[in-house]
Amino acid sequence: MSDTMNETHVALGGDTTISCTVNGQAVSVEVPVRTSLSDMLRSALELTGTHLGCEHGVCGACTIVLDGAAVRSCLMLAVQADGTEIRTIEGLATDGTWHPIQQAMHDHHGFQCAFCSPGFMMTAVAMLEDDPNRTEAEIREELGGNLCRCTGYESIIDGVLGAIAEMRDGDGGVA
Amino acid sequence: MSPDGNQGSGLGAFTGTSVKRVEDHRLLVGEGRYVADVVPDGCLHAAFVRSPFPHARITGIDTADAKRLPGVVTVVTGAEIEALTNPILPFLALPGLYTPLYHCLSSERVRFVGDPVAIVVASSRAIAEDAVELVDVTYEPLPGIGTLDAALDTASEPIWPKAKGNLLYDHTNDHGDVDAVFADADHVFTETFRCPRQSNQPMETRGILVEFSADGEITVRAATQAPHMLRWQLAAYARKESAAQAVKAFATNTERRTAFVDAAKSFFAERGEALQASDNTAMQTQMKTDPRTALQMMRTGAQLLGRDDYPHVTADDIGGGFGAKGSVAREEIAVAAVAFALGRSVSWIEDRMENLMDGGQAREEEMTLSIACDADGTIRGLDVDLVLDQGAYPGNPIGAPITVRIMEVMQPGAYRFEAFRQRSRIVTTNKGKYVAYRGPWANETWARERMVNVVARRLGISQTEIRRKNMYGDEDFPATMLTGPSLDVTCSVRKTLERAEELADLPGLDALRADAAARGKRLGIGFASYHEAAPGPPDYWESVNPGTSALLDQPATASVDTDGKIKIWTSQMPHGQSHETTYAQLAADQLGVGIDDIELVYGHTSRAPFDLLGTGGSRGGPVGGGAVRKVGRGLRAAVVAKAADMLEANVDDISIVDGNIHVAGVPARGLGYADLAARVVADGETVEGKDGTYAFNVEDTYTSAGDGGWSVATHVCWVEVDIETGLVDIPRYLVVEDCGPIINPAIVDGQARGGVAQGIGAVLYERAAYDDDANLQASTYMDYLIPTATEVPRIEVEHMETLSPGENDHRGVGEGGMIGAPAAITNAIEDALDVTVNEQYLPPTRILELAGVIEPD
Repeated sequence: MSDTMNETHVALGGDTTISCTVNGQAVSVEVPVRTSLSDMLRSALELTGTHLGCEHGVCGACTIVLDGAAVRSCLMLAVQADGTEIRTIEGLATDGTWHPIQQAMHDHHGFQCAFCSPGFMMTAVAMLEDDPNRTEAEIREELGGNLCRCTGYESIIDGVLGAIAEMRDGDGGVA
Repeated sequence: MSPDGNQGSGLGAFTGTSVKRVEDHRLLVGEGRYVADVVPDGCLHAAFVRSPFPHARITGIDTADAKRLPGVVTVVTGAEIEALTNPILPFLALPGLYTPLYHCLSSERVRFVGDPVAIVVASSRAIAEDAVELVDVTYEPLPGIGTLDAALDTASEPIWPKAKGNLLYDHTNDHGDVDAVFADADHVFTETFRCPRQSNQPMETRGILVEFSADGEITVRAATQAPHMLRWQLAAYARKESAAQAVKAFATNTERRTAFVDAAKSFFAERGEALQASDNTAMQTQMKTDPRTALQMMRTGAQLLGRDDYPHVTADDIGGGFGAKGSVAREEIAVAAVAFALGRSVSWIEDRMENLMDGGQAREEEMTLSIACDADGTIRGLDVDLVLDQGAYPGNPIGAPITVRIMEVMQPGAYRFEAFRQRSRIVTTNKGKYVAYRGPWANETWARERMVNVVARRLGISQTEIRRKNMYGDEDFPATMLTGPSLDVTCSVRKTLERAEELADLPGLDALRADAAARGKRLGIGFASYHEAAPGPPDYWESVNPGTSALLDQPATASVDTDGKIKIWTSQMPHGQSHETTYAQLAADQLGVGIDDIELVYGHTSRAPFDLLGTGGSRGGPVGGGAVRKVGRGLRAAVVAKAADMLEANVDDISIVDGNIHVAGVPARGLGYADLAARVVADGETVEGKDGTYAFNVEDTYTSAGDGGWSVATHVCWVEVDIETGLVDIPRYLVVEDCGPIINPAIVDGQARGGVAQGIGAVLYERAAYDDDANLQASTYMDYLIPTATEVPRIEVEHMETLSPGENDHRGVGEGGMIGAPAAITNAIEDALDVTVNEQYLPPTRILELAGVIEPD
């Protein structure tokens, strides 16, 4: 990996160069053309916080925010991400301060094994940036594309509700 | 002060409060380290060639094209791997059970869809998967055994020819005079209950990385619930030495020999009584049906004894397991064997299709229950005929045998039966292997609690009245279950039922039914109650399988570094249960420090205290936590003694608050742990422990002999059934649980809710489906449906905290949600539809059939 002019360049012996912005950093990556976006993020950029649960687009563990939308990185080819702006779980906190969704998940015991947590939080971030005024039913619908096998979802929903309260009026919603 | 306010102020400050999770600080920012996240430079990647047939002979296998693909390093077939590995041996077997010897890859015959027949190792996973496509295997299909009936048919093609059939075990036990009770009772009711195959499905699949360091040292990283078990099995199976070599190595390694003899002496001294009780006829059965078993046991045993340089196993973060990762995978043995042979790092990360085929399946059981009862609702006798489908290969190490034993012992539940008979049969079919899945025995609860409701309906009494009338209560204790285990006040099942009745607002039920009916829906309510051995009374394991309790003790260590850092060392292997938080709570309270002052050491087998079974069986609170409390107490005593000496005070006057060790009333003259450690160093009193030198190092083992107790709950489920669509909604769900004093309420709630969610999946969504010829029908998440946030409702959890007479009062809670939920949900559906429900899996079509809306298939 080499950094020049604020651009990180990674060569993985590939035949295609992809340029995009990842967590605010301009990157160009050489990968084999068949590389999935999730593999590019995990292998070439070493952003292993994006997890692979099913690799067929159902579990949502690999969800990232791409140009503002929640996207399954396992279903996208890296070449399709050329020119896009990507955010992953590693980019959520700023200067060591957690994003409200991270703080709220912590406050509400949101996750257990937490393998699914990056996908849930990135889905939630895209949803709340789109429209933070969400009812519990809407949150459940929006997060219905992410699987968690540990929690039964209640603590995750409470975490999202807590983040909404925090973002709205600085009240994390913890009783 | 920690950012969470997790700072201690003395004994008892943390235990019982919802301390926020220590684990979150890495997991919520994407800095967890799961096995797939570690890829050393130059690491190779493995993929498996798997059988597309349920049952077939392999007549040819050609790997030449695959080997020619650029980037492919090696392809090893089932026949070839026999030169590198030992066959897998029976473990926890039962007398009369046939357990096959088999290798990590199959060579002559495949026995289920997904059976691995070759391993490909290449420079990338993509190339390895390409090469898998180029391996040409010729199969000669055999009849697939896909149903219990086919397996029980003595004319069916035997999957394991030495077993002389597909019925591997058939055993009946009578507890009391069953025939007399059945003859004397007013009524006998009989129903058959069927549960299809389910799957654990942790969100992280299985995976292993065998890593060679620059100087050739090997470390195995894996998604495992039991690192020591994996280490031993890899030592036993993933290398093959001749018996002569192995014996010679043992004989010439004096240090090893002495260490072994010493360890064996202390093992037998501690557990002699339990081991004497163990029944050796199980092993004799194994050896009689296949004489190679004895030879292989001796050879493998000699190999294990001959060396002491087995690669260590490590694990950091694990994405759930639910029992499946307590198994040692055949794939793990194959990957390790090939990596050892190549001398290079190799990683295998299972994909989801593989996980659905071969990652572990569970709970396929058919149970016929007869209950003998009197007209007044007194239930008196129970007769159960259980058939369990273990699939093609035995679970390793935990699978069908131990499960049928627990099912029998727990089958009577907390009811005062006069007599009980159980026939247990284990069959083999051409399906994925049966593993432990969260409360592996849970279908005893499902079938019993279903049958209790059937009896109540037939007698015209309520489901709560029949339970209250027949359950043990405080006035009965001490009592003994017909199957052996003793019952004390911790078997508070009836209390949870009574509390559930209060909270359920039963008088308001008619209004709810009317309201649902007005919306075109049918409302039903279902109760289910159980007790589980978490850890269970001291006589529990002796009732299940004599000798087993010797395997279940857990050690722990509490140490203080020479610079004052406190560490707790556990043999538990966390994979979502929040051990780093709860064990820190227990230890911090004893040591008068904050949560962040405790570091939990686990995972790496060079550091984690030895214990074969790791995490499983709801033992984290009672057994692992019991060990932490024990060593925490020991460490506190040592620290207080040293401080008393330094402060020239009586030990009884020493107090520790916020890490300040002082004479009560004079905190200004107090010492920190670092001060104390420095003094220990200065006085030359340091001690050697694992991995270094310590100011203090206290080791101890928690055994459940002498205390323990039951973890219990009553679940109540309300359903609304839409008989136009067949969809089932759950407007309310209540759990009243009693796991004793709670360490962390938020974590206990999470365990209960997560278990219930899996129970909802089991009844309404999930089925590891096979057709009658054993072709897999659910190999993606489009076919195997895991419930989502739109299907799982809010779940109310009410706690009762009955104290036990034992030493460690925190009882297990990991499995209970899954044990109670299928019964409560199916009971509610039966109540809503007013028909007898005989299946656990009730998708919309089945609901519509039961409701009489459509004709059964």
